[in-house]
Amino acid sequence: MKTFSKAELKQYNGCNGPTYIAYAGKVYDVSSSFLWKKGIHQCSHEAGQDLTPDLDQAPHGPDLMDKFPVIGVLE
Amino acid sequence: MARVAREVVEKAGVNVDQLVQLLVTNAAAELTTYYYYTILRANLIGLDGETVKEIAEIARLEDRNHFEALVPRIYELGGRLPDNMNEFHDCSACPPARLPQDPRDTKAILQVLVDAERCAVRGYTHICNLTAGKDHRTYDLSQAILNEEVEHESWFSEFLGEGPSGHFMRRGDTSPFVSKFLK
Repeated sequence: MKTFSKAELKQYNGCNGPTYIAYAGKVYDVSSSFLWKKGIHQCSHEAGQDLTPDLDQAPHGPDLMDKFPVIGVLE
Repeated sequence: MARVAREVVEKAGVNVDQLVQLLVTNAAAELTTYYYYTILRANLIGLDGETVKEIAEIARLEDRNHFEALVPRIYELGGRLPDNMNEFHDCSACPPARLPQDPRDTKAILQVLVDAERCAVRGYTHICNLTAGKDHRTYDLSQAILNEEVEHESWFSEFLGEGPSGHFMRRGDTSPFVSKFLK
């Protein structure tokens, strides 16, 4: 499984290509999600980042991440 | 625009442009849901479908009310609705509540309905969290909508057999929580 640095992850911000986010050390591909169009989620969260602290405060649990493929781990 | 109303919200530490965008995307979700629910409701037929039709209709009408209640707040805060209806549809905060492949599958329709309500519950909880103690008017509005979305979710969830809703039939008009914003 590919290891992403934070700088590398930042390139996958959904602006011109795939949309990746990191949570709890894993990197997820959320490109297929309606709720991550253009790399933005709920006008508040940007893709290409480690969103672990954000997700801990979100109005949904980490179980929603199970819908998306894990494509790597965060360095 | 209500200049002072916007200023006090900014001063309280809210990113008003972000908040307005959230209100627009949720207004889009409400109006598109109203549209898609119209189709779902039309297809709720037969013994199973007719049983669900009444609550689907109430949810449909209340989602339209939510759209109408959100619009004044968007403009008060200096925002606006997109000129282009396609753009408005595509910026929705929730995925389209499309008719399932088999329109006679009432359970599949119920799943679409409950998924849409769950998206709305999360969306308004998010707005409440952003505005609590800072933007009293938007909080009051979002909380009123949230109350109705939670009831919708409970109704559909109950029909899916996930557990009792604990709710009784609505008495009187629709939108018991949001109606104060529509008068």
